[in-house]
Amino acid sequence: MKVSCLQENLKRGLSVVSHAVASKSTLPVLSNILLTTEGGRLRLQATNLEVGITCWIGAKVEDEGAVTIPAKLLGDFVANLPNDAVTLTLDERTQTVHLRCARSEANIKGIEADEFPSIPTVEADEPTVAIVPDVLRTAINQVAFAAASDDTRPVLAGVLIKLQGNQAIFSATDGFRLSVKTIELAEPVATAQEVIVPARALIELGRIIGDSENPVELTITPNGGQVLFHTENVDLVSRLIDGKFPDYQRIIPKQYATRAVMDRSSFLRDAKQSSVFASSSANIAKLTLEAGAEWGPGRMTLSANAAEVGDNKSDLEGQITGEGGQIALNIKFLQEALGAIDTPQIAFEMQSQAAPGVFRPVGDDSLLIIVMPMTVR
Amino acid sequence: MTHRVILHLDLDAFFCAVSTQQRPELEGTAFAVGGRPEERGVVASCSYPARRYGIHSAMPMAQAVRLCPNLVIVPPDFPAYRAASRAVMERLRARTPLVEQLSIDEAFLDVSALPCPGREVAAAIQTEISAEQGLSCSLGVATNKLCAKIATDVAKARARSGQMPQAIWDVPPGGEAAFLAPLPVTALWGVGPKTAERLTALGMRTIGDIAAWPEDDLIRRFGQHGRSLARHAQGIDERPIQTTRVAKSISQEETFHRDRVNRTEILHVIAQQAREVSDALQRKGLSGVTVTLKVRWSDFTTLTRQTTLPQPTDTAGQITAVASKLFDTVWEGRPVRLIGVGMSGLLAAPQQPTLWESEQVQAAAAKRQQLNGALAALRARFGGDVVQRGSELLDL
Repeated sequence: MKVSCLQENLKRGLSVVSHAVASKSTLPVLSNILLTTEGGRLRLQATNLEVGITCWIGAKVEDEGAVTIPAKLLGDFVANLPNDAVTLTLDERTQTVHLRCARSEANIKGIEADEFPSIPTVEADEPTVAIVPDVLRTAINQVAFAAASDDTRPVLAGVLIKLQGNQAIFSATDGFRLSVKTIELAEPVATAQEVIVPARALIELGRIIGDSENPVELTITPNGGQVLFHTENVDLVSRLIDGKFPDYQRIIPKQYATRAVMDRSSFLRDAKQSSVFASSSANIAKLTLEAGAEWGPGRMTLSANAAEVGDNKSDLEGQITGEGGQIALNIKFLQEALGAIDTPQIAFEMQSQAAPGVFRPVGDDSLLIIVMPMTVR
Repeated sequence: MTHRVILHLDLDAFFCAVSTQQRPELEGTAFAVGGRPEERGVVASCSYPARRYGIHSAMPMAQAVRLCPNLVIVPPDFPAYRAASRAVMERLRARTPLVEQLSIDEAFLDVSALPCPGREVAAAIQTEISAEQGLSCSLGVATNKLCAKIATDVAKARARSGQMPQAIWDVPPGGEAAFLAPLPVTALWGVGPKTAERLTALGMRTIGDIAAWPEDDLIRRFGQHGRSLARHAQGIDERPIQTTRVAKSISQEETFHRDRVNRTEILHVIAQQAREVSDALQRKGLSGVTVTLKVRWSDFTTLTRQTTLPQPTDTAGQITAVASKLFDTVWEGRPVRLIGVGMSGLLAAPQQPTLWESEQVQAAAAKRQQLNGALAALRARFGGDVVQRGSELLDL
């Protein structure tokens, strides 16, 4: 193998696929990146067996070939090269790659390409659905945070993607909060489908589809085992989570007793203040809503009290209707819910201190976040 | 300056003493309380005549029998031990409310407020427990918990004669450092084999050596632990008597009669232990955030693995799931001698319920809670085996 490419392109490609490199694995080759010449391009691939990422960069191929190289070593070295042509030459016998760029050169020991696990590809004529990159990234940012970060219940570590008619509905819950986002599709899907994609895989996808202009094509393998996200230069394949996603429709509150409309950035700032104290008291923060006198503004008070540290409170005026009330929330859940909403105003609806609170972006019906309050015994 | 008067009381060969009351023919013989050697029992307590053969508690019974072929093995009678222990503790609390029970046969007392000297109080307690309950005990008297406890150990060691020690050791106020100085470093709390090794490597063999060592250097080498080492070595310990013990963890463990190699069987035991831990948590109104699994292989190597949950829990299902997962990460088919499940990071409040526990589904939850409550109450009253879930009736 002998191939040349620009340092800038190689660096960007390596950084994209590095998200799928196994951080700790018993299989050494999974810490490597597979480099393969393909037509006039260089293909970079990495996988941790859950997610596989492929990235193509423009290159001048002199001799075809393939090899795997330790991801961190190659990435760190290339990052420190000047933006000039990089030439990679593989010594087949020793599986050592000779790298040359401007005044620098290096020899890096690799592992044979044959040892790299094959990353599944989807051989479908038509993708299942295509979504505009910005829309997809927003949906991921608004939903994936609500998924469980541990694998105690595997389905909760995933995002349910429900495709039906003109809609793609993304939802995730760790049991304590739920986020549901609806995307309108340009074209209806052929058949309704549901898959559970690991939240971790979607978060990586959100990071790497940044510079894509064309829609991201999503294809579910015929056996339902994998999902492929395809853009011009990057593919991400993820395994799907097997299992039944909990029925969340029945836990979405149908009514509310108090509704508050607040300025998002002020609310978020107050939440950050309270987190300073709440972090020393089981993350608990109290939200008190008082309806205003006729036509006047209402007041929302957010407070935290840590017995051994101190306490804080902040008042925020807003449009509050209903009977008013108090609810105790995990400050981290509150911050993440507020952080996921991108409209200038947020509506918060509550029923009682034991029922879930609902967050909605004002003027945008596509997103709903609900958070279960904490109870103080 | 006024100083505190702290007593440490330890019932001598407690299980053996109670067993001797039940079976007077054991008096003066070498016997041990514990499990049978063929079931790989361990010595829980042994009589003073047995100790002369080099037998000590926590030794495998099979080894004890090798050391003393005539050893009489007495099965433990925990209800009798608990009853005797309760009676002793009652007597102590009658003298002062400041009693901190350390275990079934050990307690600290703060008798600073009593008019007579500590040594006299200790002697009176010893006489009373011997006369009224026929039990022998040893006491340490000092100005703090650290020295009182070590004084009891010293008292017992000096009395070694094949008889119950029934000893008292009094550390005079101001004499703490001198009392500790000649003792080996391992006599100090918080000095395990590892720390002892490091201390010895630095040339510190006695507690006096530690006291003479620059404190700054100890802190540099041992961190926060170094500071307490230095203070303890000088006989300084200001911890108060804690009359109510706050549980730091709740756990269950079991040594198998024969090693287990069947994953299903082991997971079943884990599930049962998780249920017992969950029952205990629910009885006390606590939740835990860290699940610990303890595993001992057939060669006695022991390891523990922990997972800290995003939210505290008290449910058997979640504890089981996490503990089973931990087991699968360490088990590669090796025979298992002991397995244990524990919860730590205990919190009383607040709780984070799940969305599915919200009001709309609370009716069902209330029902389940009633059932759990009834089950827990039944188990508390009649023992762990009185009710079982269908899944636990699996044929083993």
